[in-house]
Amino acid sequence: MTAIQPSVASRPGLNDLLTGFGPDAAGDGPVITVRVPVAGLEAAVRRIAAHPGARLADVFASAGGPVTLRLVWGLDADRRYLITESLIDGDSYPSLSAIAPAAFAEECEIYEQFGIRPADGRPLNRVALPPGAGPDWPRLGRAPAGPPAGVHAPHHVGGHAFEFPFGPVRQVAVESLYYGLVTSGEELVDLYLFTWHKHRGVEWRLRGLTPRDALFQVERTEGLGAVGNAWAFAAAAEAALGLQPPPRAMAARAIALELERLYNHAAATAALCQSTGLVIGQAAAEIALERLLRVNAAVFGHRYLFGVVDIGGTRAEPDLAALRSDLPGAYGELKRAADALMSTNSFLDRLEATGILAEEAARRLGLVGPVARATGLAADTRADHPAWPYGEFPLAVAVADTGDVLARFRVMLTEAAESVRLIGEIGGAAAGPGLALSPAAGPGRLAGSGLGWAESSRGESMAWVALDGSGRITRARLRPAAVRNWRGFDDACRSQNVFTDIPIIEASFWLTVAGTSR
Amino acid sequence: MPLWTLRGLRRGVVTTRYPARPDPSAGLLPTPPAFRPGALTRDLAERLATVCPSRALARDGDVLVFDAGACTACGRCRAEAPEATASSGEFELAATARAHLIKRIPVRPA
Repeated sequence: MTAIQPSVASRPGLNDLLTGFGPDAAGDGPVITVRVPVAGLEAAVRRIAAHPGARLADVFASAGGPVTLRLVWGLDADRRYLITESLIDGDSYPSLSAIAPAAFAEECEIYEQFGIRPADGRPLNRVALPPGAGPDWPRLGRAPAGPPAGVHAPHHVGGHAFEFPFGPVRQVAVESLYYGLVTSGEELVDLYLFTWHKHRGVEWRLRGLTPRDALFQVERTEGLGAVGNAWAFAAAAEAALGLQPPPRAMAARAIALELERLYNHAAATAALCQSTGLVIGQAAAEIALERLLRVNAAVFGHRYLFGVVDIGGTRAEPDLAALRSDLPGAYGELKRAADALMSTNSFLDRLEATGILAEEAARRLGLVGPVARATGLAADTRADHPAWPYGEFPLAVAVADTGDVLARFRVMLTEAAESVRLIGEIGGAAAGPGLALSPAAGPGRLAGSGLGWAESSRGESMAWVALDGSGRITRARLRPAAVRNWRGFDDACRSQNVFTDIPIIEASFWLTVAGTSR
Repeated sequence: MPLWTLRGLRRGVVTTRYPARPDPSAGLLPTPPAFRPGALTRDLAERLATVCPSRALARDGDVLVFDAGACTACGRCRAEAPEATASSGEFELAATARAHLIKRIPVRPA
C-alpha cells in the first residue's frame, strides 16, 4: 500500500535505533533506507532484530558491479519499514540466518540467483531454480560456483522412520508441489518441500519493462492474490515515480482487496471441508465461493479481479449498485455455511489441536497474515502500516491464540465479516462524483526506487522496484505472503500430527506454490 | 452429520441446466476476441501481435493469424484496438482438431 497517512512521530526507541546508522538515517516517511557497510552488517542485524516489534520482512539482492544486499524490516510498532542496503564486494557476506532464522530461505535463493553466499559455509538448499539449471540458465545475477547441496540439505532418517515421497503431481487441479514426508508409519517425523517445479523467472522477465507493462505479469504471478500483489507492486512503482493515486482510486483498490480476501477465505473453508471429508459442507462453501466470484465479476468485470489496479490509480471502477445488491446474499451464504460448520463437532474435532504453530515460531520465522494472527501476533499492515482508506476506517484485527487449524479458521471467518463491514464503509467513500481514478499529472520523475505493500488475504504482500532513467525496470522484487508462510508449514506439520492431518493443515494455511515459486 | 444431509436437501439444486440451457453467468466471463476485418490494417495487426502475451496473434502477410487455442482472453488486444476488436462472447472452444482453433483474418495493406 502506498502509505499516505500523516507521518507518525518517531518514538524514542526508533530514534535510538536510527542514530546508530549515522546522521542521514532519520526520516518521517513510512520507509527509511540506510546504508550499512558489509563489515557492520552483522552488528546492524543484531541491533535491529533486538528492536521491539521488529520483524524481518524480506531479503533480496540486486545485480551491479558489486551485488547490493537489501534487508527489509517491518517496524510495526513504529509504523515504519526499514531497509538496509549493503554492497557485497566478494562472494560472501555475514550469515544472516545465524541471527535472524527467517533469512535462511532467502540466503538460499540469493545463492542460486547471484552466486554469493553466507560466510559460515552452512549447506544451502535448492529453493528457486530446478536441478537442471546450468550456468546459462536465466538468472538475476551470475551463476553460483557450485550447485546447492542436492535438493535438500543433508539429513539423516534414523530408527524405523522412512521417507515417503508425495508429488509434485497431486490430485485434481492442485499446484505442483513435492512433499518429502519422513514418517515412522503414521506419525509425521519431518517434512520438507520442493517448491521449484513452478519456477517461471517472473522477476527476471520484468527487467526492461515499464511498470505498467510489468503489472500485467505481476497480476498473473499468483492468480489468487492478483489484487494484493498488484497493489504492492503499483505502490512500489508509485513510490519510485513520485506518484500519488487519488483517493477514489485507493477506495476502489481497497474494495477489490477485501473482495479478494472474502473469496479466498470462502475457498479455504471449502478446502477445509474437503480435507476433513465433509462433502456437504464443501458444497455449501463452494456455493458461497461461486457467488462471491460472480460478485467480483459484476462489480469489477473479472471473477478473479484482474485488471483492477493500475500504476497511479485503477483501471476499473466498482459498480457500487451491484456491490450493494449482490454482496449481502453471497456473504450470507458463506456465513450460514460457517455457522453450521462451527456447530459440527466431528468437523471441529479434526481442526482442534491440529497443526499447532507457536507464537514464538511465527515471530522467529517472520510469518504474516491469518497464519501469524492465529498464533496471537496482531500483525496486519492495514492497521500497522495503513494507507488511505484503511487509516480512516479503523480495522478490528482478528486474532486467536491457540495457533492450530481451528484458530486459523476462526481468524478467517472473523476477517470475512470485517471485510464486509469495511466494504460497506469504503463503498460510501468511493461514490463521490467527479473524482478521478488516476492522477491528473503524469509521474514527476522516471528513475528511482520504492517499496510497496498491501495486506493480501494471505498476509503482507510486498514489492520493491528500481527504475532507470527511461522509466524501465532494472530490478523488481516480488514478495507475496506465500513466500513467508511456507517456511512455517513444516513447523506446523511436525507438531505431533499424522499423515491425514497434512491436507487439513495445508488448507488452513491456504498458500499458493505460484506465490513462492515466482 | 444427519443435519448436514437435511441441510443439503433443504438447499436443493443450485447447478444450472447448462449445457441444455445457457448459464446466466456466462455473460460475465472473459472470452476470446472477435475481429472486424474492415478495421484491421497491417500496422494494426503487427501491434496486436506485439501486445499479445501468449502469442495467440501473428501477422502473416496480409493475414492476421489468430490461435484461439493459445488465447487466454486477457483483453490486451481489445484495450490496444477497441475499434477493431470486440469480445466474442464465445467460450465453448472445444474442437476435434487443433487446426480448427486457428483462424486467418484478412487485413488491409494500409
